[in-house]
Amino acid sequence: MILAALPDPSRLGDVLMAFLSILFEGAPYIMVGTLLSGLIDAFLPAKLLDRLLPRNRVFSTLIAGFLGLIFPVCECAVVPVIRRLVQKGLPLSCALTYMLSAPIMNPIVAVSTLTAFKEFQKVTGWLEIGNATMTLARLSLGYAVAVTVGLIVLRFRPGRVLNASIIEGIEAQRPEGSAAPKVPFNSRLVHAMRTAMRDFLDTGMYFTIGVIITSVFNTQVNQAILDSVAGNEWLALPSIMGLAFVLSLCSTSDAFIAAPMAAFSQAAKLAFLVFGPMMDIKLMFMYSVVFRRRVVLLMLVGTFLLIGLMSQPWISLIEMLQTSTKP
Amino acid sequence: MSATRTLIHLVSVALLLLWSGVLLYFYATGRITQYLPGDGIFRPMVLMSGIGLAVLALINLFTMGAEDPGCEGHDHGCCGHDHSHDAHADCGHDHSHDSHSGCGHDHGHDAHAEGDHEKGHASHSHGHGLLEESSWTGRLVAILILAAPITWAAFMTPDRYSANAVINKGLYNPNYNSTANADKFSLRTDEAAKPAATPATTTADSAAAKADPQAQSYGSFTLDDLKAQVPQSKEGNFILEVPEIYYTGGDIEVQSVLAGQSVETIAQVLPEKVNNADGRRLRIFRMLVQCCAADARPYSIPVEFADKAPPYKDMTWIKIVGKMAYEKDGDQTVPVLKAERVEETAAPENTMIY
Repeated sequence: MILAALPDPSRLGDVLMAFLSILFEGAPYIMVGTLLSGLIDAFLPAKLLDRLLPRNRVFSTLIAGFLGLIFPVCECAVVPVIRRLVQKGLPLSCALTYMLSAPIMNPIVAVSTLTAFKEFQKVTGWLEIGNATMTLARLSLGYAVAVTVGLIVLRFRPGRVLNASIIEGIEAQRPEGSAAPKVPFNSRLVHAMRTAMRDFLDTGMYFTIGVIITSVFNTQVNQAILDSVAGNEWLALPSIMGLAFVLSLCSTSDAFIAAPMAAFSQAAKLAFLVFGPMMDIKLMFMYSVVFRRRVVLLMLVGTFLLIGLMSQPWISLIEMLQTSTKP
Repeated sequence: MSATRTLIHLVSVALLLLWSGVLLYFYATGRITQYLPGDGIFRPMVLMSGIGLAVLALINLFTMGAEDPGCEGHDHGCCGHDHSHDAHADCGHDHSHDSHSGCGHDHGHDAHAEGDHEKGHASHSHGHGLLEESSWTGRLVAILILAAPITWAAFMTPDRYSANAVINKGLYNPNYNSTANADKFSLRTDEAAKPAATPATTTADSAAAKADPQAQSYGSFTLDDLKAQVPQSKEGNFILEVPEIYYTGGDIEVQSVLAGQSVETIAQVLPEKVNNADGRRLRIFRMLVQCCAADARPYSIPVEFADKAPPYKDMTWIKIVGKMAYEKDGDQTVPVLKAERVEETAAPENTMIY
């Protein structure tokens, strides 16, 4: 056994252990995301996205919220992909909506939420799909919040939202009407690989900072204090959302963490499951690759308030719809 | 390539190889088993991304000399060259947008001195990586952040948590009636009879079930069911994991069968802090992981001794044989193992339960 040669467990060791485990979990997906972003940058024709999406920006934002169902990505992979898609002409509102909704509105997350909340047994057929309260509430609220943020961003010029370097990347593509240049496949591949390498290191750096902070909270703060506020209707929601922010869990597995928290209400768990995939410590750092600091902070406050206020009415609404459709 | 650009390229390649090396090392030595669950996609993803990053690094190393003529529709954002405005003027085009696109791709092959490109970089950057864009201080900080924590953690990680982390993760805040994971450790096999999040009778009314944390009935369960489900040791003890015992706290039929039976389990030990005035109890736990060790949660039960509990060092692995008992504590049913035989033992292959 290798254990004999390892350092003794300690407070620092706990942090390193949590750090490595999140890194092992997240880094593979960052790699997938950055390879995609490299390939997008090299091979995706700049105007293709524009042509495919509906002209109406509101309508295209509404559609972008569903794209996660077709292109499922988790929150670690979505950041580098989004950056390139924006530079390829994907409207900002669509990009933001996709970024926030894809880690929730996504088949893998739907299945894991169904499993964690034991809602599979209740969905015996297509007609009974309404019984999956938490899964439905999670996906629909995630969609609603993502679209809301997208529609708000529609009112801003990209220059006020995006980092300067991203903006210049878009502007370089402005020249229109030019025929697709003939660039040999090999050169494009070289370019894709270089972009992937840069993007991996960019994203990896912010990811590292976020994971360090998360690991400290994860292992050094006694999470039992949460249970003491669970029953308080004013504190339960903000504190469970704070936990989601601090733990930086992967959206494919956070449902398994939320489900056993018996002390918390369904609404509090819903807030945990919608807020976590959109905003947490590691994501805040990763978002700042693409967005201006101020925008990231506004997004943090905005999604926090929106989800905090919506969770209780939302779950009540879903439950009301269920009882009203019952024969 | 200029010297700076070459250096940054090589450092980037080295950083990728470092990350790849750490991923592959933990996978190859099997130490990854202490961090990620065996079922599911996470461990294979570590292997694949370890290989993937190495390949990406090597491709970039061997194509280092190749020109990067850019990509679809433009060359600014991606060609690795920067076109300062002077450079544009040099090529004799005006700066209207159409001619911009016209001349764009030639730039990659232009005979501009590298110095020009570097200067252009300083004045405005085009969506390149941090390492290309930043000042030298910025570059060094970025390299440090990418290299130091992962290297340090790889060398210094103990591969297991200390008692401190276990307590912070909620050791003394158990909730024995939680059924969220109950099917995973339920002693029942019949799919239909497994404890759902809510018992069958109240499925439609989740609100009521949620408000009632009492142990509940999930249908009949007999000693024969138990024998069919649970492996027995040579002496006839039922071999159970702590989370399995923990979850019986929510299922009254299983409790009625299991109570009084001889049970054997291996777990880690910490002092008991609740209901332990006479010092006859210890708390044993296993860490249960969903998708990585950072989300590990301790699942624990008290062990009661006839006399004072033996003074084990914190976190010692012990094997306990004892009789199952259940006691009421408020609205919870607490599974208590009445110890008959205890011995120190080696840690199991997987210290975490997945």
